[in-house]
Amino acid sequence: MNTATVQPILSARDLSVGYNKTPVLSGLDFDCEAGQFISLLGPNGAGKTTLLRTLSRHLAPLAGAITLHNKSLDTLPAMDLARTMAVVLTDKIVPPLFTVFEFVTLGRYPHTDYLGRLNSEDQKIVTQSLAAVHALDLAGRPFSDLSDGERQKVLVARALAQEPFLLLLDEPTIHLDLKHRVEVMAILRDLCRDKGITVIASLHDVDVAAKVSDQVALIKDGGLLDWGAPEAVLTPEAVSGLYDFSKAEFNRHLGGIELRGEGNRGRAFVVAGMGTGSLVYRMLAKKGFAIATGVVHTNDLDYYVAQSLGADCITTPPLEAINGTSTNLAATLMDSCDFVIDSGFAVSTGNQANMTLLHTALERGKTVFTLRGDVLESPAANSDNRFIRCTTTTQLIAALDAFPKRNAAHQVQEA
Amino acid sequence: MTTSEPVVPSIRPPAWRRPPVVFSGLGLLTLILLVINVAVGSIPYSLAEIWHVLLNPREDSITNTIIWNIRIPRAIAAAFGGAYLAASGLLLQIYFRNPIVGPFILGISSGASLMVSIVMLTTVTVGWTLFTPFMSTLAAFVGAYGVMLIVLAIASRIQGGVTLLIVGLMMGYLCGAVTAILTALAEKDKIKGFVLWQLGSFSGFKWDEIWILLIFGGCILTLLYLQSKPLNAFLLGEEYAASMGVNIRHFRLLILLCACALAGMITSMAGPVAFIGMAVPHMARLSFGTSDNRILIPGACLMGALVTSLCDLIARTALAPVELPLSAITAFFGAPIVIALLLKRRVKL
Repeated sequence: MNTATVQPILSARDLSVGYNKTPVLSGLDFDCEAGQFISLLGPNGAGKTTLLRTLSRHLAPLAGAITLHNKSLDTLPAMDLARTMAVVLTDKIVPPLFTVFEFVTLGRYPHTDYLGRLNSEDQKIVTQSLAAVHALDLAGRPFSDLSDGERQKVLVARALAQEPFLLLLDEPTIHLDLKHRVEVMAILRDLCRDKGITVIASLHDVDVAAKVSDQVALIKDGGLLDWGAPEAVLTPEAVSGLYDFSKAEFNRHLGGIELRGEGNRGRAFVVAGMGTGSLVYRMLAKKGFAIATGVVHTNDLDYYVAQSLGADCITTPPLEAINGTSTNLAATLMDSCDFVIDSGFAVSTGNQANMTLLHTALERGKTVFTLRGDVLESPAANSDNRFIRCTTTTQLIAALDAFPKRNAAHQVQEA
Repeated sequence: MTTSEPVVPSIRPPAWRRPPVVFSGLGLLTLILLVINVAVGSIPYSLAEIWHVLLNPREDSITNTIIWNIRIPRAIAAAFGGAYLAASGLLLQIYFRNPIVGPFILGISSGASLMVSIVMLTTVTVGWTLFTPFMSTLAAFVGAYGVMLIVLAIASRIQGGVTLLIVGLMMGYLCGAVTAILTALAEKDKIKGFVLWQLGSFSGFKWDEIWILLIFGGCILTLLYLQSKPLNAFLLGEEYAASMGVNIRHFRLLILLCACALAGMITSMAGPVAFIGMAVPHMARLSFGTSDNRILIPGACLMGALVTSLCDLIARTALAPVELPLSAITAFFGAPIVIALLLKRRVKL
């Protein structure tokens, strides 16, 4: 990463940060290029805020050097620093009797005269800053009346009024509702793309960070675990290690975290495909069932979700019709399961064999829950209620909740 | 971002809240109160008499002596004393980002009381006849600025307002403890004088003191007004202020120095006058409808001058010829305002 031909806007060399001579993070080396969105990820207390406060010069580094535009950070005059770098902190500040416009004008501090008077250029930049965060309509409102989300946008506007090249944000989306979380992240990304501002933000949502960042820094155990493009850095193992997950997994294809269930309510076999299984898997994991599934193609959405949820998965290569070998494996796996769910996949030549699998299930005396709207012929099964038709997932949940009563005997036998 | 010029909605306050209107109103009221304070007293004077005395300062008459040497110094002292206490309170409220902070929160008045109690309640200073007339002023000066130096020394070492606030409160308790012991050991007849000193009074100001008050205080206020830009940045807290280019280390000490110097000066001359410094900044914020210190610093001063002049007038005249303790009047005035503001929760600083 040091071979970059672009001039880095901010560099750290062998940097140690911390409080009272006790390092929180040490041996940090990184370069931030202009216009990049850089996310700092890591568990609470890992030192993200400490690093940000050191980069903003609120804390002195314990060792090493930080350079900003090739100049040493600690000798930069305060006004020059303020024209280069702006911050958005987590402190909840509510200065009384400020309109939003007046509040944003405070950001003009390093540009105005000794009494802080605004000229027309300052007014214009304040207006543009408000426009950049889609908050022009808030300009006349009292700052203390804003919601958390509106306040966060205005705090970003205040930082922009400093006309910085570099914007440091500490947990910019914490406490925000979904609408504002998405909006604030979109605003920050646009600042990078359109204005070439470098954004360094500590984030707690890995999935959001993966989708927005150009670079991510993984911070844990007193150092930088990894730094690079999220596509390369954010492997399921890296994310699980970073946050010490055991019951969840980050899936980079899906761009989200899948939560595994307890798996202590018995085991379900889901006959799925074409993405119809994903919601069923998640529901089963949430309700505490262990999951087995098959036969799915390895390019199917169901495959990725099943993998992340830790399901036992019988697969077949993409674009190949499901053949006897995999159906036999699936049938064996199905035998060890307590019941079978038919996700209601559309049938084509490629997955015709999965229909056969369902019939095998009924023949072997398994209870089959189906989400299929159309008819699945099986008079034998209907006679002793082993074929349960559900039209919605809600009905399926209700049917599953009723099911374990019959299943108790089976579990006793196993024990 | 759109390239067309965006339109900002108009954000002018209603006409009656605009600073020039409020300044003129407060200024006029203060002027009227100054005149009333000169006119009203055990011997009332008409405007014509006052005008005559003002135009003929060298004339040798009782009227002249009363107006020039008693009434005018007292009126000026009350107005400027109130102004400085309000400015001091405003500074400390911004510094600590706390609405119930006043000028004496850091122990200034307790330090002054301690030294004055030594002078008034003990016999330590018997024989220092040369200083006798100024003894309590001198002692209060030493006490107030002694505490200020200790607070500044501590403030330069530690970060964080809350720690300093607690240190200040503890200093107050320590000084108060010594004062309490001295009071317990003192002779009865001396205690009343000391208690009355502790409640503050603008009586007995001499012209020498007035000049010190005007020149020294005027310099500090000018300095403060020039700091209104960093003070505004400080409203967002130290970290934001630093990120906008304020030199926090120097600025913190400067603010504390100015606030304590103003409060210490008034305390040494008039005793601890309560509540003005805490309540007036709130009243100024509400009447000007802003937290902008370029308006609030002169605004709070004017409001402080007005309120203190009014309180002093009430103290002198309500139960004349007995003069009521000034702090009792300011508390009657200030406490309901502080309670109302906290209940309304409109103003948080």
